[in-house]
Amino acid sequence: MFSFALKNIFFYKSRSITTFILTFFSLLLLIVYVAMMDGSHESMLKNALKVYTGAIEIYQKNYRDLGGNEYLINQVDTIEKALLTIKGIEQFTSRYETYGLLSSKENSAASMVAGINPDKEKHMSQLEVALKEGEFLKQNSGNCLYAGIGLVKKLSINVGDEVSFIGSASDNSFAADLFKLCGIFKTGSAQFDGATSFVARQYFDQLMYSQNKASYINIKPHDLSQVDEINSQILKVIADDKESLTWKTLMKPMVQAMEVDSVFGYISISLFYVVIFFVIMIFGFINVSSRIREFGTLRCIGLSRGKLRLLLFYEIFILSTLAIIIAAPIGAYISHYFSVNPIVIEGMSEMYKDYGIVSDELPFSFNLMTITWNIALIYVLNFLSIIYPTSYINNFKALEATHHV
Amino acid sequence: MFNIIIKLAWNNAFLRLSRTILVILMIAISMAMMLSIQGIYDGMTLNMIDKTLRSDSGEISLYHKNYRLDKNLKHNIKDASQIQTFLQTNNEIEYITKRLSVEGLSATARKSAFSNVIGINLENEIAFGQFNQFLKKGDMSFRKRGALLGSELAKTLKVNIGSKIIFSTQDHSGDINSIAVRVRGIVQTSNIALDASAVYVDLKQVQKFLGVNNQMATQIAIRTHSQTLLKELKNKYPELDVKNFLELYPMLKQMKDMMVIFTSITFLIVMLVVLIGITGVMYVSILDRIREFGIMRALGMSYQNIRYQIFLEAFLVGLTGYILGAILGFSTLYYLQNYGLNLSQYSEGMESFGMDTIIYAQMNISYFTSTFYAIITASLLSVLLPLIKIKKLNPIDVIKAET
Repeated sequence: MFSFALKNIFFYKSRSITTFILTFFSLLLLIVYVAMMDGSHESMLKNALKVYTGAIEIYQKNYRDLGGNEYLINQVDTIEKALLTIKGIEQFTSRYETYGLLSSKENSAASMVAGINPDKEKHMSQLEVALKEGEFLKQNSGNCLYAGIGLVKKLSINVGDEVSFIGSASDNSFAADLFKLCGIFKTGSAQFDGATSFVARQYFDQLMYSQNKASYINIKPHDLSQVDEINSQILKVIADDKESLTWKTLMKPMVQAMEVDSVFGYISISLFYVVIFFVIMIFGFINVSSRIREFGTLRCIGLSRGKLRLLLFYEIFILSTLAIIIAAPIGAYISHYFSVNPIVIEGMSEMYKDYGIVSDELPFSFNLMTITWNIALIYVLNFLSIIYPTSYINNFKALEATHHV
Repeated sequence: MFNIIIKLAWNNAFLRLSRTILVILMIAISMAMMLSIQGIYDGMTLNMIDKTLRSDSGEISLYHKNYRLDKNLKHNIKDASQIQTFLQTNNEIEYITKRLSVEGLSATARKSAFSNVIGINLENEIAFGQFNQFLKKGDMSFRKRGALLGSELAKTLKVNIGSKIIFSTQDHSGDINSIAVRVRGIVQTSNIALDASAVYVDLKQVQKFLGVNNQMATQIAIRTHSQTLLKELKNKYPELDVKNFLELYPMLKQMKDMMVIFTSITFLIVMLVVLIGITGVMYVSILDRIREFGIMRALGMSYQNIRYQIFLEAFLVGLTGYILGAILGFSTLYYLQNYGLNLSQYSEGMESFGMDTIIYAQMNISYFTSTFYAIITASLLSVLLPLIKIKKLNPIDVIKAET
């Protein structure tokens, strides 16, 4: 039956060529389109995680909802000891964040001032890499301030200038100090660069009275795909009044926005597949219509309806497989190539900075599992396209089919 | 003769009913999907543009030359009230409003966030951009030191109607100053920057708080349909930064352009595939009847009349597909225009990116006209190949030919 199907494919060339070409382009388009869509989402996510937000963060319960100094994490060292026992964690660090007013000689601006551990932060985020001018913080940087480029512009200051800080300490007392601008960073995120500054914790803790306290503990896993597993282990070792959240919760709006984007992407591409499905079905239908007498003869010499179905299935299977064998490696190569050498669209990050896009690069995602389901989808569509032609041909009685004009 | 051609075309177009139905279904379903996708995308983009125009820029906005680069209070329009009064006499201007904006820190007892106090005249804003329609919760009122908060800012500060917030910033004299306001309403403008940071307060209150006179503003926004007003204002106020909406929001313009390019490419590819589908059917349909055409030629029917008949057949198939597609597309668009596409399960993501959770489709007559031309053109093009084949045939040979 298989060789019979193969002969039919070579005999009915126009149908075979059309089906082959349409299947080839369908799969190629699907692989490249999905790789581009997934790649841009992964890139947005990675960039967001790189900048500052952690893959996993531990909070005192109610800190995120209610906030306030009474919901700071106390006894940070206890949690840190527990984290050392968990496998899969590359690095962790605690941060103490507060809001205050920074004032230069001329201007004032609101800022989130965060006390960080500079040595650990180098491995946790892109803060050091984002350095534009001056230097990154050190453990013993003292009153050095590391501020975003937007904030620096608002304050009209340069590296080496002093700024005053007014805020409230962890015990709700008034806190004020003079900081010296030692470094300026630029992450690309306008909101972050315009309102964030950092001080080494060693110094900041004395000012804010926040020794062994933290707003949250930021955790970086070795493998981002393992966050759920690591998080479940963290939940076992922390007290009930703490909560450990993954990026899926921490960045819920972004995750949802990407899901919506994917939904629209799939809706758009489904249009192509509906049309291509119809065209393959039409060509299949035309083909079987022209072979009604042939099928009638086959039925007369003993071929069952099931065997006819199998014959037509083999035909579409062979044609689909041939197209897929060629299209899949090409699509995979394109995806892989652009995952390693992302497309660069000059000015994209500037244009879409409000949407969290901090890079001009548009990398593709190369994922064999994704390519596999792309292939499976094309097979399913092609198999579905022969259901109607098959049932049409099987509705004929054998003798009736042999006399069909 | 023409009646005969019409009859022949009608009968032959639907002679092989199953495959004709398949082609009609292909045209109709792809057309309905294409119209729905285009309507939704246009609806989404135009909605964002409309809300940005109404909530912020208008068609034209005037600023101090340096304000957009450095949003400092010192970069204000000193004689804003005079300019507003003067411009109100211009017949080309439909609505005009002035705003006084300053960046600072909003804080509750527990939370803080960067924000932007915007002093507005509520009545003017309602006339300017139906500002009252942005109200999501509470009242559209500034009574008793009331304020209206952007929806994302309200989420960040975890505040609700009646909550008190303290806004601190540097006033006109350079001193740090604070003002306590009570949240009267929460607004969602779908403009990301505003929703994430805006604290709307009565203009007079903000002027008093910042220590500026009532002439000053940081922005004058104008609603107009005039195409020449921008140039006129640029000439009249060379000391100010006069920008139109597209200059202020190039991203939205780019988004709109990209949607046009995307839908055009989609349209082209879909029509190409549809053309392949129709061509397949028409080609087989004509070759099936090649002897019939030979007999017609032998009986004296000219090639031109056969060509008319075949074109008419293709036209009828295309037209039927178009009519069915138009009905399906119109029904879907009508539903989406009135009930919208509900994406409330993604509300956090949609709102944080400046989109409504329910997207209402746009419906333009141009959707149907452009699709009509495309489908009819594809249908007519589909028979060119078999027509060339028929033209080359000798009637006698054709009659003798095996089908």
